[in-house]
Amino acid sequence: MKGIVFTEFLELVEAKFGLEVVDKIITAANLPSGGAYTAIGTYDFAEMLSLLTHLSSYTNIAINDLLLVYGEHFFSVLASSYPQLIDKYEDPIALLSSIENHIHVEVRKIYPDAELPTFEIVEKAEDSLTMIYKSSRAMSSFGLGLMNKTFAHYNTNAEILLEHIKEDGTEVKFSITKN
Amino acid sequence: MTSINPEILQRALLREKAARKQAEKILEDKSKELYLITEQLRKANKKLQSGLTEKTTELQGVFDNLVDAYVLMNLKGEIINLNGAAKELFGYDVSEEKINVIQLIYKDDFEYAINSFKLLISKGFFSDYIARVNTKNKGIRWVHINASIIKNSNQKPIGAQGIVKDITNQRAIETQNKKLLHDLEKSNEELGEYAHIVSHDLKSPLRSINALVNWLREDYENILDDSGLKNISLIEQTLEKMEHLINGILNYSSINNNTDLKNTAVDINSVLQDIISTIYIPSHTTVTALQQLPTIKGDKTRIQQLFQNIISNAVNYIDKEVGTVSVSFEENQSHYIFQIKDNGIGIEKEHFDKIFKIFQSLGNNKNSTGIGLSIVKKIVEAYEGEIWLKSEPKVGTSFFFSLKK
Repeated sequence: MKGIVFTEFLELVEAKFGLEVVDKIITAANLPSGGAYTAIGTYDFAEMLSLLTHLSSYTNIAINDLLLVYGEHFFSVLASSYPQLIDKYEDPIALLSSIENHIHVEVRKIYPDAELPTFEIVEKAEDSLTMIYKSSRAMSSFGLGLMNKTFAHYNTNAEILLEHIKEDGTEVKFSITKN
Repeated sequence: MTSINPEILQRALLREKAARKQAEKILEDKSKELYLITEQLRKANKKLQSGLTEKTTELQGVFDNLVDAYVLMNLKGEIINLNGAAKELFGYDVSEEKINVIQLIYKDDFEYAINSFKLLISKGFFSDYIARVNTKNKGIRWVHINASIIKNSNQKPIGAQGIVKDITNQRAIETQNKKLLHDLEKSNEELGEYAHIVSHDLKSPLRSINALVNWLREDYENILDDSGLKNISLIEQTLEKMEHLINGILNYSSINNNTDLKNTAVDINSVLQDIISTIYIPSHTTVTALQQLPTIKGDKTRIQQLFQNIISNAVNYIDKEVGTVSVSFEENQSHYIFQIKDNGIGIEKEHFDKIFKIFQSLGNNKNSTGIGLSIVKKIVEAYEGEIWLKSEPKVGTSFFFSLKK
């Protein structure tokens, strides 16, 4: 998993809960990296899972809710780093439906070893989109957070419904309807 | 703001340091990778550059050394470059004056030229364009042109090149050759006809003489003495020989026309039987086939004439008590090779060439006109074959001839 996901995560934790919580979950997680992350590095996804688990148990917030917030935060990271990628699309539905065919293609050019989820389009209309999320990471809530902020970016909002196709969350149906 | 435990800060600092070192290491590795890639690119570029120089020099060499004219033009037909041969042919120097290929096209060939140009654009090339061009100093010349389109790296046509060969002289020679061949054929034909007419004309006085001599013998049989009768007999024999000669000429002159050679299946076994029953074979001589002979393609009359002339020659010149004439053959991919062998008087080596010439007879045989073997040679040649012989004087002769399958 790309280092930026870790660094941004820890910064968010620090901003929301303070440095002590960062220290606590890193120490508790007993990570191979020791919790020293750089945005340009690559780290084991298990470390992220471990950090999330400890944060969840410390804060009593469900992992999916933590991921949702983190996803919302991460959108701003992407928007400031790659504004030209987002500006290419006139509306959020167009952007979301291009994740697979365009955005991920571009990501792979910069990070050939990136492990990306897939977003298979089931149905697409002007104001609605149905996609199947597939990833062994089961981080659909992170995706949901990103999507929420995507609509916000275009000054609109949407109703996004998540249905787990597989119980472990590795396959999730996103039903998006623009309001 | 509540103070933070220094240990926590210290751990955070250590993590930041470790992260920075990781980042530095990653960046350093990336820099090294970039450097290596740049070096590889530089090398590849250098190689390309050197390859380009090499190819350019090669092309320049071809351009300079090409014996034929080389014309390079853009898609509008404006000539960009001419090699030495092209300057010499067209008489123009593009560094001094602008020339468009349209100006070089001879007016009557304009449509053909435009169609060829269309072909060049659609297919990327044309070959064997033969037409006239206007030149500055040499008037109108016939040329042969092969041309192809030049494309840039995006496969977009940017121009065309043509190799131009001046074939004016070649065409003149070809035309001359054609005329010569035609004249030759005509005079050959005339010669054949002439021989035919002459032979016929000669035959009729001959018949008259024959009749007159016959009357002389009948009317004066009781008056003439032995010597007179013998002389009349000699006249008759000479007349007979002369008729043979004339028939021979007639025969010889009629082989001229190759188109008369019919291509039907001819069984050489039956040809041989016909010959044996037709010609006079003394009882002490036998004519045999040593093997089953092939069936070949040809004109039966000619083939029979060929075998008959050689066999009757062989039979005539046998001096042994038991005479043998044998026929055999071999074949290769393209030809049948026949052998006719006798145990006759043989032929001296010095006469080998002479015997095939017309009116050459070696012995004093009364039946020999000296035309037979020349007819044989002509027939063999008509079937794209050859004739040769092996002979030992006093022992015998073998004639060999090949006939195309």
